[in-house]
Amino acid sequence: MQNDKYCETVGICLKEDLVLTERSQEQDTRNRIGSVLVVGAGIGGMQAALDLAGSGFMVHLINDEPSIGGTMSRLDKTFPTGDCAMCMISPRMVESSRHPNIRMHTLARVSRVEGQEGNFTVTVAEKARYVDADRCTGCAACEGECPVKVTNVFNLGLDKRKAIYALFPQAVPNTRAIDRDHCLFLTRGVCRKCEKVCDANAINFEDTDKEYELKVGSIILTPGLKTYDPAIRQELGYGRLKNVVTSLQFERLLSASGPYSGTVTRPSDGGHPKRLAWIQCVGSRNAHNANPWCSSVCCMYAAKQSIIAKEHDPEVDATVFYMELRAFGKDFDKYIDKAKSNGVAYRRAMISEIVEDPQTKNLLIHSVDEAGRMVHEEFDMVILSIGFEPREGAPEFAKTFGIETDQYGFAKTSKLAPVATSRPGIYVAGTYQGPKDIPETVIQGSGSAAQAMALLGESRGSEIEAVVLPDERDIAGEEPRVGVIVCHCGVNIAGTVDVEKVAEVASHQPGVAHAETIIYACAPDGQQKIRDLIREKGLNRVVVASCTPRTHAPLFQDTIREVGLNRFLFELADIREQCSWCHMNDKEKATSKAIEIVNMNVAKTRLLEPVKSNSVGVTHAALVIGGGIAGMTASLSLADQGYGVHLVERNSVLGGLLSKVRRNLEGDDVQAFLEQIRGRVERNERITVHLDTTVEHTEGFVGNFKTTLKDGAAFDHGAIVLASGGAEYVPTEYGYGSSANIMTQRELESWLAASEPKAGETFVMIQCVGSREEPANYCSRICCQDALKNSIAIKERQPEAQVVVLYRDLRAYGLKEDYYKQARDLGVLFLLYVPEQKPEVTADGNGFKVRLDGKVLGGEMEIDADYLILSTGLRPQEDALQLSQAYKVTRNADGYFMEAHVKLRPVDFPSEGLFLAGLAHAPKNLEETISQSLAAAGRAGTLLSRDSLTVSGIIAKHNRDICMSCLACFRACPFGSPFIDEDGRVSHNEVKCAGCGICAGICPAKAFQVNCFRDDQILAMIDSVTAND
Amino acid sequence: MTADGEKIEERHGPEKPCDIPADWKANIIAFACHYCAFAAADLAGVMRLSYAPNTKVIRLPCTGKLDHIYVLRAFERGVDGVFVAG
Repeated sequence: MQNDKYCETVGICLKEDLVLTERSQEQDTRNRIGSVLVVGAGIGGMQAALDLAGSGFMVHLINDEPSIGGTMSRLDKTFPTGDCAMCMISPRMVESSRHPNIRMHTLARVSRVEGQEGNFTVTVAEKARYVDADRCTGCAACEGECPVKVTNVFNLGLDKRKAIYALFPQAVPNTRAIDRDHCLFLTRGVCRKCEKVCDANAINFEDTDKEYELKVGSIILTPGLKTYDPAIRQELGYGRLKNVVTSLQFERLLSASGPYSGTVTRPSDGGHPKRLAWIQCVGSRNAHNANPWCSSVCCMYAAKQSIIAKEHDPEVDATVFYMELRAFGKDFDKYIDKAKSNGVAYRRAMISEIVEDPQTKNLLIHSVDEAGRMVHEEFDMVILSIGFEPREGAPEFAKTFGIETDQYGFAKTSKLAPVATSRPGIYVAGTYQGPKDIPETVIQGSGSAAQAMALLGESRGSEIEAVVLPDERDIAGEEPRVGVIVCHCGVNIAGTVDVEKVAEVASHQPGVAHAETIIYACAPDGQQKIRDLIREKGLNRVVVASCTPRTHAPLFQDTIREVGLNRFLFELADIREQCSWCHMNDKEKATSKAIEIVNMNVAKTRLLEPVKSNSVGVTHAALVIGGGIAGMTASLSLADQGYGVHLVERNSVLGGLLSKVRRNLEGDDVQAFLEQIRGRVERNERITVHLDTTVEHTEGFVGNFKTTLKDGAAFDHGAIVLASGGAEYVPTEYGYGSSANIMTQRELESWLAASEPKAGETFVMIQCVGSREEPANYCSRICCQDALKNSIAIKERQPEAQVVVLYRDLRAYGLKEDYYKQARDLGVLFLLYVPEQKPEVTADGNGFKVRLDGKVLGGEMEIDADYLILSTGLRPQEDALQLSQAYKVTRNADGYFMEAHVKLRPVDFPSEGLFLAGLAHAPKNLEETISQSLAAAGRAGTLLSRDSLTVSGIIAKHNRDICMSCLACFRACPFGSPFIDEDGRVSHNEVKCAGCGICAGICPAKAFQVNCFRDDQILAMIDSVTAND
Repeated sequence: MTADGEKIEERHGPEKPCDIPADWKANIIAFACHYCAFAAADLAGVMRLSYAPNTKVIRLPCTGKLDHIYVLRAFERGVDGVFVAG
């Protein structure tokens, strides 16, 4: 049933004789609308939107908050790298807001969906913002004047905001909104103070709610999550005891842009707490007053928070009370080890009560230690690790879109089609599909985009508008004629900096042809003024002194390009964020600093030269290495999107490790599914399957690779998907091989297909065999699921058989917790062991005696077993090293390929044009492999959709004439763009260059110079800023 | 002897530490990565955090772009400190 649904949702008809249906489908594909609605603009929604927009689809990105960003924008740092969340998400938000193919609709919700896949009509209800986003400059003068203080929901009630507000400091769009429920004018008809103080005339009390229709071909749902409200569990004191906070509140306490600027502060007295405790599974894994599922992320974020808290204050003592450590992801166990070695205490205990000392407001926790003794401890602050729930109003949301949900309200999907909802053409990604972390959300974002690309492939490019620009003016031989525009930004700059003086000083700088001030440079009239000045004064270079180039340089670059100036003849001098806003108390010094900033940018700009962006063609085909389910899924998606695929498999049949799996934990018939997929791959005209061979050699670069196989076949392609898989560990432990009654979980699955377990027989399963200890010190992720699957199968078929699972941490993450409960309910016994005291097995006739230091019963115990089942994990594929050398991609300490970025680029390699999926990346189950393979196909499809790749302007230029080919650049470049050419000398592939300039920094001959950051330009800035000393 | 020559002459002997005036502030050039430290400097502004105005930021595409010569030139031209952040 689920398989049928899978095929239905990806638009493939199973029955081959229905030619008529296919023909009408073909006709239908041309009428599909080339735009996609993305509902929810968190990290998953933005990923889907950017992938689709980047491959020629118009995207409507809808968000019900005034800013995009979602849950990730509320986080301080992310595990396991400790990267700043805002630093990662902020560029994505800016990119989403500036992409010509993305229309943002904030404060908006979908109220009605009609039509079918390929042609939906969506009704959008958008709330009045009361602030004109085109005029608002984000200066925040209005916030200062607004007299109404409201609980700040973004900071989870830890502080107050005004009735006119930005959701958070880095909000996108960078414009305020008025909270109509609290605004004095909108509720009582008095005030209008914000209107008076707004020089940009952006306040619009006449604004009204709007309702409009959008036509889209597909819909992607990424509405995100809601967190559990721990007030329901009164014994933990949340809402009653001041120093009990939620983990999300603690993120805001840690955040530099949070309510206490990153100083961890105790709510009761503002002091610095030293003794911190985390209580895990609050709201998770508990069907009473909470949710039965595991939220998948809390173990890891608690480790992160404890590490970061200790970084903030080394005197912090951190204790984590947990039930099970579910560190199941790539490099997660290593992160827990890091927390432990940093002194974080882990206690396996369930906490039933938190008691406050009425005097000190400290918190008392009683727990039972591993030896069974009662322990009383006092803490300054307790953090509740709250879990995830389906988004607010999930039932209505599902009803609006006409999709089915599971029993808990998450969007219902098949494990074999993890991003397809029950309604064709509507896909889902992120936590609305089930609890998951950021990279898995990003993966599903790209995966759902790939599904939409496959559905609407024929209509790509039909809804987007190409921009027509005038020819660029040739300025060769002209003396520099720099125009300097100094922005008042209302009072934001002009209130602190004497802008007239800045312009006056700038006008006397060498090369400056004109300087003047402007009230709002970024407003439409301001930009018109800049265009007019370029024409009237014959300017050939422009400096705008206003806000940060990170957000505003692209806008002004577009402006000057519209009147024929090369985009790179521009500099933005940041005199707002980096001057007026930081030095409000010293106007004189702020003015001199602004003068210096402007002058040094003028000095640089004088030396700017036009940058010509080259472009190269793209071969619209992909090489997929590995014919397992990952490679086949990626191949099918790419073929459905319209690209040619060369699928290379070293074995004589397609299928990989999945060939040995019969069913998954959820009971889907995996072999039938594999058979279908294999058939679809073999029948697909766009896919060429190369069996019994491997890659001999690949040369070229993104968009233009050339590969030769060992069997002699050679072809061109534009992208590479590495899906080379993993290997099953063959155990040497516990006498494996000495008896037919010692089996791996995989072998047990086959045994169960042929034999019946008998009443009275005992199956003992040992978890983590060959995993989570040297030399493979990582979690293989799938073994706990395998143990649950086989335990349940045994018990369902023979309730009188005994199953005992000996485990370290039962990692039944997410919705798999249901099966853990089911196994317990069926009578499966779960007994804990620690790696220091592993179970001991001795042969006993046909059976075994398994001795165990029983943690729960407090003494040694012996089990008579008929069958010994070893839960063995996964290893990297044996040719992983060779592939990593051939494609210059790195591997982690465990031998799995490293993605470009753990959080935000989980299926990309750092080298352009290479993508990653499946077990080659890390151990994962079937559902996760399918998601990731779709994601890799989506990312590759985004690249292959282009006819040509334009090389970025900011790249290193190589002067081969002065290069000594010392290879310093060759060794240092993270992107592999310098290469040794046919003359045996260094040349530079600009297509691969990311413009970081590491080569330029390291080159002893200075043969590399980065456009717009040339040495003479930087030195001119240094000379300018030191001119008066 | 040119003016430059005289200057070089002066620098031969070991520098005598002079008294630091009470209102003296170090003059600093910061080389900041476009993606992180420059963004952090922006955030300081957005949050209206105040600091001394004698630090000027020069934006680089990556701190890996920093060249020895930038640091040497900055000190040669008399700055008191160079801050590299990325």
